[in-house]
Amino acid sequence: MMRCPPFRYLAPETAAEAARLVAAHGPGAALLAGGTDLLPRLKRGQAAPDLVVGLTRVAALRRARAGADGLELGAGVTLAATARHAALTPAHRALALAAGGAATPHVRNMGTLGGNLCADTRCGYYDQPRPWREAIGFCLKAPAGCAEPAAARAGEVAGTCWVAPGGRRCWAVASSDAAPALIALGAEVTVCSGEGSRRLAVAALHRDDGRAPLLLAPGEVLTTIHVPALGPAWRTTYWKLRRRGSFDFPVGAVALAVRLAASGEVLEARAALGGVASRPLVVETDALLGRRLDDEAVGAFAEAAVAPARPLDNTDYQPAWRRRALREAVAGALREVRGDPPEALGVLARAAARVLPRA
Amino acid sequence: MIGLGERVGASPPRVDGAAKVTGAARYVDDLQPPGCLVGRTVRSRVAHGVLRALERDPGFDWSDVTFVTAADVPGRNVVTLIEDDQPVLVPVGGTIRHHDEAVALVAAPTKEKAEAARAAVRLVVDPLPAIFTLDDALRAEVKLHGQDNVFKRFEVTRGDDVERALAACDVVVEGVYETGAQEQMYIEPQGMLAAWEGDTCHVTGSLQCPYYVHKALKVTLGLPAERVVITQAVTGGGFGGKEEYPSMIGAHAALLARAAGRPVKVVYERDEDVAATTKRHPSRVRHRLGLAKDGRMLAADVDVLFDGGAYATLTQVVLSRGVLHAAGPYRIPTVRIVGRALATNHPPHGAFRGFGAPQTTFAYERQTAKAARALGMDPVALRRLNLYRDGDVTATGQTLRGSVAAHPTLDRVVAQLEQPPPAGRRTLPQAPHVKRGRGVATYFHGSGFTGSGEERLKGQATVAVAADGVLEVRAGSTDMGQGATTTFAQIAATALDVHVSQVRVAQPSTDKVPDSGPTVASRTCMIVGGLVDQAARAVRSKLEAFAAEVGLAADDPARGDLPALARRWAAARGELAETHTYRPPAGIRWDDQTYRGDAYPVFGWAACAVDVAVDTDTWEVVVERCVHAVDVGKAINPTIVQGQIDGGTVQALGWALWESVQYREGKVLNDRMTNCIIPTAIEAPELETLLVEEPYAHGPFGAKGVGEIPMDGPGAAVASAVEDALGVAMDELPLLPEVVHRRVRAGRAGGAA
Amino acid sequence: MEHAPATGRTRALRRLLVNGEPVDVPVAPHETLLEVLREGLGLTGTKHGCELGECGACAVLVDGVPVLACLTLAVELAEHQRVDTIEGLADGARLHPLQEAFAALGGLQCGYCTPGMLMTAKALLAREPRPTAAQVREALAGNLCRCTGYGPIVEAVLAAAPHVAGPAPLGAPAAAEARP
Repeated sequence: MMRCPPFRYLAPETAAEAARLVAAHGPGAALLAGGTDLLPRLKRGQAAPDLVVGLTRVAALRRARAGADGLELGAGVTLAATARHAALTPAHRALALAAGGAATPHVRNMGTLGGNLCADTRCGYYDQPRPWREAIGFCLKAPAGCAEPAAARAGEVAGTCWVAPGGRRCWAVASSDAAPALIALGAEVTVCSGEGSRRLAVAALHRDDGRAPLLLAPGEVLTTIHVPALGPAWRTTYWKLRRRGSFDFPVGAVALAVRLAASGEVLEARAALGGVASRPLVVETDALLGRRLDDEAVGAFAEAAVAPARPLDNTDYQPAWRRRALREAVAGALREVRGDPPEALGVLARAAARVLPRA
Repeated sequence: MIGLGERVGASPPRVDGAAKVTGAARYVDDLQPPGCLVGRTVRSRVAHGVLRALERDPGFDWSDVTFVTAADVPGRNVVTLIEDDQPVLVPVGGTIRHHDEAVALVAAPTKEKAEAARAAVRLVVDPLPAIFTLDDALRAEVKLHGQDNVFKRFEVTRGDDVERALAACDVVVEGVYETGAQEQMYIEPQGMLAAWEGDTCHVTGSLQCPYYVHKALKVTLGLPAERVVITQAVTGGGFGGKEEYPSMIGAHAALLARAAGRPVKVVYERDEDVAATTKRHPSRVRHRLGLAKDGRMLAADVDVLFDGGAYATLTQVVLSRGVLHAAGPYRIPTVRIVGRALATNHPPHGAFRGFGAPQTTFAYERQTAKAARALGMDPVALRRLNLYRDGDVTATGQTLRGSVAAHPTLDRVVAQLEQPPPAGRRTLPQAPHVKRGRGVATYFHGSGFTGSGEERLKGQATVAVAADGVLEVRAGSTDMGQGATTTFAQIAATALDVHVSQVRVAQPSTDKVPDSGPTVASRTCMIVGGLVDQAARAVRSKLEAFAAEVGLAADDPARGDLPALARRWAAARGELAETHTYRPPAGIRWDDQTYRGDAYPVFGWAACAVDVAVDTDTWEVVVERCVHAVDVGKAINPTIVQGQIDGGTVQALGWALWESVQYREGKVLNDRMTNCIIPTAIEAPELETLLVEEPYAHGPFGAKGVGEIPMDGPGAAVASAVEDALGVAMDELPLLPEVVHRRVRAGRAGGAA
Repeated sequence: MEHAPATGRTRALRRLLVNGEPVDVPVAPHETLLEVLREGLGLTGTKHGCELGECGACAVLVDGVPVLACLTLAVELAEHQRVDTIEGLADGARLHPLQEAFAALGGLQCGYCTPGMLMTAKALLAREPRPTAAQVREALAGNLCRCTGYGPIVEAVLAAAPHVAGPAPLGAPAAAEARP
């Protein structure tokens, strides 16, 4: 059987203590939540921390609280628990779809919402057995074989990116389902360090660098996800592209949230794409404001939304298909939130409907 | 007396069911003899090159590590199969011919240590130019096999000169069809455990063919037959993938155990298994089919190319079956089929359910669909006009004598399509951008070994009263999930008129069971099951005679109690073993030189209809309906037979829509189960499986092969359905969304085919 | 704060409630529940097919919830945490209705995915006593099977359901006869 390499293990009872342990230890420390992202990397030789700080005993991370201003979900709440949380309203559909459609039922029972937000980026040159990566001289994401904790290496360039060989950056792809959905919902997170805590938008959590996709300082621990209460005028959804109805990471995804006037005009809108860059891509939505979601507006928005997406040849599917299919997914998701019946939507809507009944 | 619920034709629960649902079944990695070491394989990281040296890191602690190279092979350094071209380990100075080829072995007390030791071996290799495409192999600028890189060429001809015949046809349909490598993806990875007792080597593992491993290890270890014992552990799926490769792993485990003086277990990890072991041959088939205006097929010219990979392994036999099925189940007076298997620097391609037939079936059934379109005929009507009937003559000149169910299977499918589809099936919405189509395929699959194979094999099976008085079936055929054990138990129980629970099926081990031939080629039930039936009847008559001898009156109920008689026999006389050897039915003739004659003792027949919906936003294909009628002669256990068809159908749909092993410079790129994917419970449609029973006179109770045929045809049916939906030719598999999209764009640009 | 076991290869004893029995098992930090079950406790009924969370063969129940033993560090389980494996599914010699239905209805062939399938199905029926076929497929979407085509597995779960949730309603057929 594939083994994890040996490491020291500590299980603090508070997030602040976890943050202090990681900060004190330095780059060789890794945080462990559900384990569904870290353990495969340990077994495949992509990470080799000498200290693993388990968050399982931090009870506060598993709490969820609903209030008038919205929902506070501990970072350790599982994806399964997130998807079926009683306090989610129909306006939170995008989050329920993203959390409820990630990976497999088992992985959703283990994987956490915080862990999914912090999931490593993926790439066809990185997600390979170590001997193969060694044979090609490793890559920019992990020049010495193992990816070091992201923050320690941000900005530093060593090794070759085989996706874009001459380039100075890593193009590994963001694989979180929850991140685009939470961005569309306008969610924020609290992160804590040994010294204190700060709150930032989910949209400000990631950077477009496959090696170091998290904008967190060493030792910062994501503790809470704040999902705002959204009135009934909000309609949200999440569509993702993948081969199968289970297991597979998104190779393109769109999360949408719009607030519609009774007359059908868009009053507010937020959108984000997943799986097409090293971070979730926040989509410019000003063009929708004040407009009705007629076919012309839908088509124009879909076209513009995917323009900044740069699908490269480092995930499943061909890049050209991903871009094209993502455009259709954006259009379909918009048609869903404007109220088109499910029978007018395609494959992707059916995949969504399986996870959750239509709001 | 046997209950009706256990006789042949009923579906008693599987005899291995209880052990498998309780976790008691012991697969190879569940076996842990004391002192057992963990074995790992050092592999090449280039696809082609000369191995100059093996360097061991001097800083590494090798004290508790067993290290084995080609120099430690006591016998011949080959994996004996058909051609002895594949080494057990590439020797220093020898040539590495594919990526992830075994070069050296390590064993250590723990997995961690073994893995570290593996990583502490460095290969010094001078790379050589390599071949990764059929065209490069044909160009033969790099020579991997002979002067032309052709492992094997077969030719089958019937009737006139094919060019002349095609020229005389009203319509000639031409196409080139390509299919990719497919991974068997049994859920249990490959593994073997070796232990030496004195000078005898015992190897136990996950395998289909104990006597293949036996034959190979005798040669590798330089031992006489009786000093190599191969035993099958409970095996977690094979599908052909555990036909020849276990000989390699068995040899590795045996060499390590020999060097270490302790048991050694080599169990592959998934990435290693996908990267190094055999897969379905990628293929390119050029097919020309000539027809008369009224739809009669008049001439077929087929050129078959298979990528054999780096070594010959089973490729020529796979090619043979592909070639022998390449004209389809159709009456065609003039046929020329040329098949060639080419050497490349891919890991060897090998056995996988269907064994060459799915590739050529894909081509001829796409051709049939195109011919119907070209003639403006209904595809079912075109098939009905040409499908074989009893007495027809095949491309090899074989006159079909009985058990021809080409029409009945098609009729069943057509009738089923009149019925409403299953409730709760997976569908796409009715929307303007969702296009729908239907594809049909009709096909056949030869049961048993090709040509004179069964005659040469002389498979044996034994039914015995064992020393402990239990009625026992002994066969070298293995159960890797397909239900051979239950099938044998039911055949024997029916022949002996006892309960299934009163028959024991021995665990296949070369020191306890005869060589029944390999567990392949849709032959286990038909050939070996037949031997079990005969042997069981012989045991029954001996026990009945014994009853008379010991003075039981004719009306004594004890005379009918065979298990009790068996116990009495054992107590009085010891063991009673009846062994039967396969003899082909009279009148079967085959010429290996001309490839003419009776290619197979009998064929199974099938028809499949697939309804698809294609989402033209994403070009994803959803199988909304799959009706599959398969003629099995006689379903010994209908639940098991239906399981074979259902499972094979979903593998075929996987091959058609999702499954594709990707190589880059000869290295498998998608070596894990989230990128080398198989369908989940969500993708698998609600199948409508129909059993047709057209008995075979020489099979047990009329049974013939069923294991492979469901794999052959659904791929073509899917492609024809997508073509029907979109109006663009779909001539490659798998039809991934991006492939459908590319073909639609090309079709729009160049006019639909 | 719990620091033990602190170092790489040191094993510390952990008490788990495995199939209802308290067991003390030595656990090193980097060992997975799969390793502890198979190698530490000799419970080899739980299988491994990929060890990366990509096949579902190692699914077991922790506090009744299906999880992947290959991605669970044993050290992260709480003291006395309930772990249920295939070895504990039958009630002594009496098979669980799911086990009977799988064996009778063709729900298994090679048997290698079967323990994970059964444990996952058990959790489904505890949560959803009368699931639809679509719900069964969704619940089992993390368990790969290469032999059956899944249809007979779905059938077996549906057939077993009435016998698991309590006494069968009047007139309900036995699992083995419930094939539609």
